[in-house]
Amino acid sequence: MKRIEVTLSLPAIVPLLDVIKQMADTLGSSLAAPLRLDDLEAEFHTAWQSDLLTAQNADVRALLALFDQEFFTAHTVTLDEGNAEPVLRACSALRLRLRTEVLPALPDEALESGAVDLLPLAEPVRRAFLAYVFLATLQDLILSHLGSTILGGDHP
Amino acid sequence: MTPARTSTLPQTTARPETALGGVWRVVVLNDPVNLMSYVVVVFQKVLGFDEATARRHMLEVHEQGRSVVWQGLRERAEHQAFVLQQWHLTTILEPDETH
Repeated sequence: MKRIEVTLSLPAIVPLLDVIKQMADTLGSSLAAPLRLDDLEAEFHTAWQSDLLTAQNADVRALLALFDQEFFTAHTVTLDEGNAEPVLRACSALRLRLRTEVLPALPDEALESGAVDLLPLAEPVRRAFLAYVFLATLQDLILSHLGSTILGGDHP
Repeated sequence: MTPARTSTLPQTTARPETALGGVWRVVVLNDPVNLMSYVVVVFQKVLGFDEATARRHMLEVHEQGRSVVWQGLRERAEHQAFVLQQWHLTTILEPDETH
């Protein structure tokens, strides 16, 4: 099984984990990307909402599981074929939620380019932005090293 | 589209069966959050695009705010939209009036 181990700095990551866990809590009851399918039958809409929420929560749990006791002793997280997809999706969900909950004041262009001046930002916003960047870095790592396994394909 | 809702639950709107017939488009809308590389991989995985096609649709979303990524029967369109939403891409369905 293809896998990558990523060594992380504990002092740098632990404060970001607090932010990520806060966002994860908010994702327990609402979708990161709200449904815009207004003409779905009400029953379908409710069922979709529920199924998407269940899947989203499972993905977020997979990401949080990376930061287990082993992470706090070995300072490494392991990404492999088993968790690449859920972690990738969870990063997306958490970044979307960070955007709407903590980073709405930052311009889209700044977020897209990463060209954000951290100094003027309040500490919670600065930390949220660093978490936002960290999650993108995790996604980049997965796409670079495990992209081919993700593209094993489940399309018809 | 029929956004009519009560304040508590989505409201079922009566409509003829034929409203779901015909050709439907699956449209992905832009967001400033998801990485371009992520969107390309999602399009490849979910829709079966080759990399060049996935990249072209990603750029269309990024530059024009939306891209029609699939069209066909309503049931299948709903399935595609559901899976794209699982990957946190904001997706809408539109009837293709040209068919």
